Amino acid sequence: MRRYVLRRLAVGVLQALGITIAVFFVIRALPADPVSRIVGMNPTEDSIRQARHALGLDMSLFQQLLTFLGFHGDGVFTGSLGTSWVSGSTVLSEIAITLPTTIQLIVTSFIVALVVAIPIGMATARRPGGKLDKGVFGYGLFAGAQPEFWWGLIFIFVFYFKMGIAPAPLGLLDPELTAPKSVTNFVLIDSLIAGDFTAFKSALGHLVLPVLTLSFLLVGPLLKMTQQSMSRVLSSEFILYQQASGLEKKSIGRSTLRSALAPIITLTGILFGFMLSGAVLVESVFSLNGLGQYAVAAVLNLDFPAVQGVILVISVISLFVYLGLDLLLAKIDPRILVK
Amino acid sequence: MTPPEALLSARALTVKYPYGDVQNVVINELDLDLYPGQIVGLLGESGSGKSSLALALMGLARHPGIVSGEVNFRGKNLLKMDDEELRQIRGNSIGLITQKPRQALDPLVNVGKQISRVYRAHSQASKADAQVRAVELLRSVGINDAERRVNAFPHELSGGMAQRALISMALSVEPDLLIADEPTSGLDVTIQAQFLDRMWERARDANIAVLIVTQDLGIVANYCDRIVIMEDGKIIEDRLTADFFADPHTAYGKKLILASGAGTKSSNAEVAIATTPEILRVTDLRKTFEVEGGKRLQAVSKASFQIHKGRSLGLVGESGSGKTTVGRLILRLADPDSGEVWFKGERIDSISPKEFRKYRSKIQAVFQDPFDSLNPRWPIERVIREPLDLHTEMSKAEKAARVKELVSLVGLTDDILQLRPGSLSAGQQQRVSLARALATEPEFLILDEPTSALPPAARADMIRLLKSLQDRLDLCFIFISHDLSTVRELCHDIAVMYLSEIVEMGTSEQVFSAPSHPYTRALLDSVLFHDPSSRRVDRKIKAELEGEIPSPVDLPAGCYLAARCPMAEQRCRDDHQALIEIGPSRSVRCWKSVEASK
Repeated sequence: MRRYVLRRLAVGVLQALGITIAVFFVIRALPADPVSRIVGMNPTEDSIRQARHALGLDMSLFQQLLTFLGFHGDGVFTGSLGTSWVSGSTVLSEIAITLPTTIQLIVTSFIVALVVAIPIGMATARRPGGKLDKGVFGYGLFAGAQPEFWWGLIFIFVFYFKMGIAPAPLGLLDPELTAPKSVTNFVLIDSLIAGDFTAFKSALGHLVLPVLTLSFLLVGPLLKMTQQSMSRVLSSEFILYQQASGLEKKSIGRSTLRSALAPIITLTGILFGFMLSGAVLVESVFSLNGLGQYAVAAVLNLDFPAVQGVILVISVISLFVYLGLDLLLAKIDPRILVK
Repeated sequence: MTPPEALLSARALTVKYPYGDVQNVVINELDLDLYPGQIVGLLGESGSGKSSLALALMGLARHPGIVSGEVNFRGKNLLKMDDEELRQIRGNSIGLITQKPRQALDPLVNVGKQISRVYRAHSQASKADAQVRAVELLRSVGINDAERRVNAFPHELSGGMAQRALISMALSVEPDLLIADEPTSGLDVTIQAQFLDRMWERARDANIAVLIVTQDLGIVANYCDRIVIMEDGKIIEDRLTADFFADPHTAYGKKLILASGAGTKSSNAEVAIATTPEILRVTDLRKTFEVEGGKRLQAVSKASFQIHKGRSLGLVGESGSGKTTVGRLILRLADPDSGEVWFKGERIDSISPKEFRKYRSKIQAVFQDPFDSLNPRWPIERVIREPLDLHTEMSKAEKAARVKELVSLVGLTDDILQLRPGSLSAGQQQRVSLARALATEPEFLILDEPTSALPPAARADMIRLLKSLQDRLDLCFIFISHDLSTVRELCHDIAVMYLSEIVEMGTSEQVFSAPSHPYTRALLDSVLFHDPSSRRVDRKIKAELEGEIPSPVDLPAGCYLAARCPMAEQRCRDDHQALIEIGPSRSVRCWKSVEASK
C-alpha cells in the first residue's frame, strides 16, 4: 500500500516534469515573439536586444530549459517557477493568490453538485419514467444545450439585477470591505481565522451565484452517471438476493450506493481536473480572479513563465486528486488490488 | 397422498414489466399451492417464467417488474404486507437459493459479513455472535478452513464455494419454504449430488416445503414429489412425479420424457475388446500451464491410451479434469510438454504445423458451443463447403453434391443451405458443425462435449444421430463429456479422468457394470436417472465424495482423491498412485481397487 503510493507519486512527478518540459518547448515553437509585446511600438535594435537578454531568450533553448529547471540559480527544482514577464512578481506568488479562489469555487460547486446529483440520481433510478425522472430528462436537455457563461449571465440578470437578492458579480468581497489578513489566501478560511464574520458572509454571498452556475452544469453528467450506475446495481443479482434475504431497507440502500459509487468517483476526478482551468468562463463572468483567468491572461500575454507555472501546478494537483480517488476506489472495492 | 393445508398459495399471481407504455407479462394470473414437506420441481423452457415465478412467490420481481395478485403465506397475503412484516418473512420463513451464486453475493463485502448480516436481520444476535455463527454455518455446508474463508470476498471463491455460502445463508434461519432456482446448474455432478442429498434430508427432517426450478429431468425424477410445468407464464401441467413419468399430459412433458428415454440404458454392452487396427495412440502425454504467481497448473499428466478402427473412446470427468486439454493436444491446438501422439503409425506431435496440415482433413473436431464454432456471416452452404475448398481438389459440381449429401447425412434439409448460423436452433447448428467435420471423410473425430450446450430434446436427437452415423460410417472418435449416460450409450471404451490423470480405463461394459476406482463409483452414483422408481435417495450411497475438488495448482502429494475419498487411508495420502492393469484392456489408479480385483 505504502509502496504503491510512493510509486504512484514517483511516476506522477516524472509525468509532471515531462509535461512541463513539453510545454516549455511547445510555447517556444509558437510563431509569436514575446519580446515585441514588452518593448512596445517602434523599438530600437538595442532595446530589443536588452529585452531579449532580460528575459533570457538570448540563450540557447537548452540553456533556457536548464535555467527554468533550476540548474543556474532558482528554478523548478528549488521550488521557484520564475518571475512573470508581465507583472514582475514571482509566478508562485501569483498562483498562490489565484489558485485558492478557483479551488474555493470548484470545491464548493462539486459539493453542491454531488449533494444534489446523488440523491436525485438514486431516486430516479428507483422509479424510471416517474415525474422526477421526466424532470431530470428535461433539465438535461435544457442545461446541457447552453454554455455555462450564458447561465451565469441569466442568473446575474435574475437574482442580482431583477430580484436584487444576490450581490454584484464583482469578485469575492463587497468593495467597501477590507480583505482579511492573508494566511491561506482562501478568503473563506482567512476571514474565519481573522474572526471577521462580515467578510466571511460577504464572500459566501458572492460565491452563491458562481457556485450555482458551475454546479448547475456539473449536476448534469454526475446525475446521469449516478442514474446509470444505480440502475445497473439495482437490477443486479445481489441486490435482489439481499431483498430476498429480508435485509433491512437501510442496509440494502447502503450496499447499493457503495456499489454504485465507483464510476461516480471516477467521473468526479476527471471533471475536477478539467474544472481547474475550465472554470475560466464562470470566473470571467463573475470577475473572480482565479487560476483560469490567470492562465488565459498568461497565454495572451505570451508570459512563458506564467504559462509553464500554471500547467505544472494543474498537473500536480490533478496527480494528487487522481491518486486520492484511486485509493478511495481501492478502499471501496476489494477487487481493485493496491500492490 | 392428501396434502395438508397449503403453506403457500398463490392466486391470480401476475408479474409485469413495464416498457414505456407496453406491458410485458411474464407471469399470467397463475395459481399454485405448496405444502409442507413436499418437494416440487418447476420445469419449463427458458423464457417460460420459471425464475420470475420463484421470485414472485416471495413478492419480488427483478427491477423494475411489478407483482400483483395474491401470495398467501400461512394464510396472509405477502403482497399486502407492510415492508417490515414482509422483510421478516423473506430470508426467515422463505429462503432463496439462486442460479448464479457468485452474482448473488455482494462483490464488495466479505462472505462472513454477508452471512452474519442476514443472520442479524432475523435475530437479536450481536455482531460478534453473528460472526461466530457465520463460521459455524460455512463449516456446516462443508467448507474447509471456514475461519479463513469468512474473510474471503466473493471473487476469491469458486462457484461451488459461493453456492455453499448461499445455501448456508438460506438455511441459517431454518426456513419453512425453500425456493431454489436451478441451484446446481454451475456445479459438477458429484457436488450436485452432495447438495441435493443434503437438501432432500433437510426437507424430510424439518418438514419444509421446497420448490426447485430446473431443466433437468434427472433432478425431478430423483428428488421431487410433484412436478409443475410452465409455459408462457402459466402452469400447464401440475402432477405427482410418478404419474407424470407414467403419462405426461402436455406436449412439452411428452417431449421431455421422450428425450430422456434415450439416455439411460447402455447399448454397447455386447461389444468386447478391440481387434481392429489401431488408429490413434497417445503415450505419456503431459501438459502444464503457467498461472499467475509463477506456479504451474497441471492440466494433463501421463495420459496414455489407444483407439482402434471403428471404436470410440469416452473421456469422462468433471471440470478441471483435463479431458478437453487432451483433445486439444491431439488436435495440435496446444503443444504437449512431453509425450507422444501417433496417428496410424506416424508420430504427429513433434512435426511442424505445416506438416501437420495434411492430417487436418483426417482428424476433425466438433466443439461444445455450436454458435461459436460457426462463422456467423457465412451461409451454411459455405460453412460446410470450406473444408472441401481447403483439403480437396473437387470440382464445383462435386462440392455442391457433397454438401447436399452431408446435410442429409446429419438429418437436415437443403433449405437451410442459404441461411446463416444465427437463424438456426442450437441443435441444428451443432448438426452443421458435425457435417463440416465429416466433409473430408476424416478417419478420426474429436467430439468435445457436443451435446452439453443443447436443450434436452435436441441433445437426445444429437445422440441418436451420432449413434446412427457410428453404424453407417464406421466412425472412430473420442467423445469428451461429463455426462455419463451419453458416454455409456455412444462409446465402446471409457477413460475416467480426475484432476489431470486417467484414474480408470476399460470397456464401457466393464466400467459401468463394475466400476473399480472410488471416483468412478461416486461419479456413477451421482448420475440421476430419469426414472422415479429408482431414485438416488432410496438407494444406499456408499461411494459419496466429500468437499471440493482441490486446485490443480497445488496438488496433494499422494492420491489426488484422498481428501475426498471415503476409503482413504494414510497410505493413500502418502503415495502417489500409478495406473495399474487389472485385466485385459482394463486398468485403475488405486492400490485398494487393485488389491480388491485380485
